[in-house]
Amino acid sequence: MPPTRPTVTDARLVVDRVSKRFGGVAAVDQLSVSVAPGELMAVVGPNGAGKSTLFQLINGVIRADNGTIRLNGHTLTGRAPEAIAALGVGRTFQTSRVFPALSVWDSVRVGQTVSLIGGTPSRRRFDPVTEIAAALLRPGGLKRRERALDEQAEATLKLFGDRLWPRRHDRADSLSYANRRRLEIARALVDRPSLLLLDEPTAGMNPTETNELADLIARLHAEHGEMSIILVEHKLDVVRNLASHVLVMDRGGRLAEGSPDDVLADPRVVEAYLGRRADGSAGAEQTT
Amino acid sequence: MVDFFSQIINGLAIGNVYALLAIGFALVFGVANLINFAQGSLFMLGGYLTFTGVSYLGLPLLPAALLGILLTTGIGVALDWACLRPIQRGPRIAPLLATLALAVIIDSTAELVWSPNTQGFPNPMADQAWTVGNAFISAVDLLILATGIVCIVSLTLFLKYTWTGRALRATAMDPEAAQQMGVNVAAMRTLTFGLAGLLGGIGGVLIGLYYQSIWPTMGIPFGLKGFTAALLGGISSIPGAIAGGLLLGIFESLTSGYLGSLYRNMVAYSLLLLVLFFRPQGLFGARGLDALGGAQAAAGMVPSTSLMASAFSPVTSRIYTLAGWPALAVLVLAVLYPFVADRTWEHIGTLAAIFSLLAVSLTVVAGSAGQISVGHAALFGVGAYTAALLGVACDLPIELLLVAAGTMGAIAAIACGVVAVRLSGHVIVMATLASGLILHSVFLSWIDVTRGPMGVRGIPPPSVGLLGGFSITDNAGHYWLSLAVLALALFLTGRLLQSNVGRTWRAIREDRLAAVAAGVPAVRYLLMAFAVSGFLAGAAGALYAHLLAFIAPGDFFILASFIVLTMVVLGGLGNLTGAVFGAVLLIVLTEVLREFGEFRMVAYGLVLLLAIMFRPNGLLGSK
Ligand SMILES: Nc1ncnc2c1ncn2[C@@H]1O[C@H](COP(=O)(O)OP(=O)(O)OP(=O)(O)O)[C@@H](O)[C@H]1O
Ligand SMILES: [Mg+2]
Repeated sequence: MPPTRPTVTDARLVVDRVSKRFGGVAAVDQLSVSVAPGELMAVVGPNGAGKSTLFQLINGVIRADNGTIRLNGHTLTGRAPEAIAALGVGRTFQTSRVFPALSVWDSVRVGQTVSLIGGTPSRRRFDPVTEIAAALLRPGGLKRRERALDEQAEATLKLFGDRLWPRRHDRADSLSYANRRRLEIARALVDRPSLLLLDEPTAGMNPTETNELADLIARLHAEHGEMSIILVEHKLDVVRNLASHVLVMDRGGRLAEGSPDDVLADPRVVEAYLGRRADGSAGAEQTT
Repeated sequence: MVDFFSQIINGLAIGNVYALLAIGFALVFGVANLINFAQGSLFMLGGYLTFTGVSYLGLPLLPAALLGILLTTGIGVALDWACLRPIQRGPRIAPLLATLALAVIIDSTAELVWSPNTQGFPNPMADQAWTVGNAFISAVDLLILATGIVCIVSLTLFLKYTWTGRALRATAMDPEAAQQMGVNVAAMRTLTFGLAGLLGGIGGVLIGLYYQSIWPTMGIPFGLKGFTAALLGGISSIPGAIAGGLLLGIFESLTSGYLGSLYRNMVAYSLLLLVLFFRPQGLFGARGLDALGGAQAAAGMVPSTSLMASAFSPVTSRIYTLAGWPALAVLVLAVLYPFVADRTWEHIGTLAAIFSLLAVSLTVVAGSAGQISVGHAALFGVGAYTAALLGVACDLPIELLLVAAGTMGAIAAIACGVVAVRLSGHVIVMATLASGLILHSVFLSWIDVTRGPMGVRGIPPPSVGLLGGFSITDNAGHYWLSLAVLALALFLTGRLLQSNVGRTWRAIREDRLAAVAAGVPAVRYLLMAFAVSGFLAGAAGALYAHLLAFIAPGDFFILASFIVLTMVVLGGLGNLTGAVFGAVLLIVLTEVLREFGEFRMVAYGLVLLLAIMFRPNGLLGSK
């Protein structure tokens, strides 16, 4: 049974009539959608449907032309990406973006900046001068906090079995493609976001790796009951297994929305989306 | 009485020259995706080669100019072939530093060949001018206007209506797509550098006629103004570049007419900073030059913001550093150095320590935080002036002067940083260059305080508060003082780079978009990097002022910034050991090659160019 849609007051994320145009292209067009706490929603749609643009708008990398986006009652639209991250949005990028020359360990520790120095909505713990002084003197309080963050980072890396933890001292650009994606997820996850945005996390992975990652996402979803996840995914069996709710986008707008079984059987969806994959190799296609 | 109409005519004439330079920048930026620092040098060469044709070969002006412009065109192409093409697949910072090195090499070679002095440029039309109403119109103005218009119109027609022109524009928009459509992208690149050289050469001749003089460093101000014009127009658009050039010319002409020509450059550079701050995409352009790489980066088109990264392959190298006991051992040896060195070498040791401190300061902001600054000598100057003026005015211990100089350096660095942190990659270099030039002209023209070109004399020897006001007068004392400051700075900076702050700096350098998405307030951290760097540079300035007892604006010009940048790149960006190593190496090299003093700048330029071409990660590896 599909979960009842959250009303505006109890939703975690509310996207309200948001639009974004690039020149003549309406990448996102008057889109409204909401996500409940602890919900795992999948977003599917053909290439160029505006799925990634929706993510850029939520996390503030791109500003919406109009419409509003709210998270836990805070308005996100108009804020800078770092402020939105501090409000609890973690994300990965479709073309995985790791810090090439940083070690795996350092990359994950960067994801904990907000926990370390504070920020929206809490106040910052340091002003820039005290932060430099603290970095030089390393007072006990800072050491304790860093130790807690170290443990958190270690636990997060170990979520990925022996994929990342044994490689924690390696440079990020020495990792395999699949491991870079894992590292990005670890970085987005480590500070315990209330909303996690995953943009095609299994792209470029073989079936075994895909299943492993899908299991991990399912586990995260089960263990972090409060965390909402939005997953953009072309591999429809992954969507069926993981998501309780599916949004189908086409040309920037909503084509259909509902439970995976209903939505993916909808003739309009089949035409707009599955029609191009009628060979049955759901998700084998690589997008760029 | 200044006549408005003559100022406009004059502004349009000069603006035409800026437009020619701006088109050169725009073409090269579009096709080769780099900002060509050597554009100003080609411009200077155009003037000098023509001058040589007239003065030494006895040619009439027109053939001499044609020959000079042709040669400049050839040199533009040759530079690309010899120096820029080979490093296309290297780190993204390589072409930038290479064109910077080329600019220095060309400018200082010109000083060697034609002397550093201003030369008279032949102008047969010098006396021809007419008064129309109140307006004063000279033949040169008209010539520049006519030449500029002919160039611009024919270039526009060429780009618009010929197959080659269309292929060139296609390459600028999307080289890969153009290649697939059968365009010979390599040939287009050659054509672009040729055109940039051609336009630069023409500009140089016109400016020579206009001022009736040429000088070897003229490429710097005109190059920067050409860049400003290109930026006003949105940097990658040709019509934008033309409009930007004319606007800048008129604006500048009006300010120098009504405010006085002293302000001419300052106003132009300030305009550049204002545009960079408020509208980095230019007045007409829309192309994202902003720090995050705009929507393009989010869509994955810019894989990493790191200038040390290459678009083609990971750039890695072995990293050599000294820490812990070995570092302490080196320090002990360094402390003992005055017992084996004579007075001259003690002095050189002090200079090496001061420049090491300056290199450490630059490597924080340029290496760890990835913000290449070429205005660094100005921060050094701010510290030097602060310490010198305070030291002359009242009797303060050196510790206090170091802190005061450092603080002023930090404040100046933050002021420069505020513009720079909103920009990406190559454009930061222009912003820091402009800030450096503005500070330099403050040193030069704020005569009440800095005593202008006369400099500050009679700076007292440093007195050490910790030693009960002990006054340092001998070379060994200066050496130990500088060494102590350097050692402390290295210890603290090393600690900072290992902390969360240093890690965050490197993350921003590597991928600013990913960093902000992970919650890093990038602007805050970058300003912290500028502040720390400015503090260290200011402290180095204080040591320098007290060592020499005399400072003048010339010590803090761009060339000094360039030397420090060379030290840092040579040692390995972001590597503290490398910074010290590069500084010591270059200072000692300068001393050893003392007899060849005039070749110094050419040598520095070559060192930087070779380092970039063959060891982009520096001798000790970048971190
Ligand atoms: N930075 C940009 N500049 C111009 N157009 C853009 C930009 N980013 C996206 N677009 C356009 O917006 C539309 C939506 O793109 P988006 O990347 O959101 O699609 P998507 O649904 O994520 O597709 P895919 O499945 O290929 O990842 C496309 O037409 C795309 O070309
Ligand atoms: Mg996408």
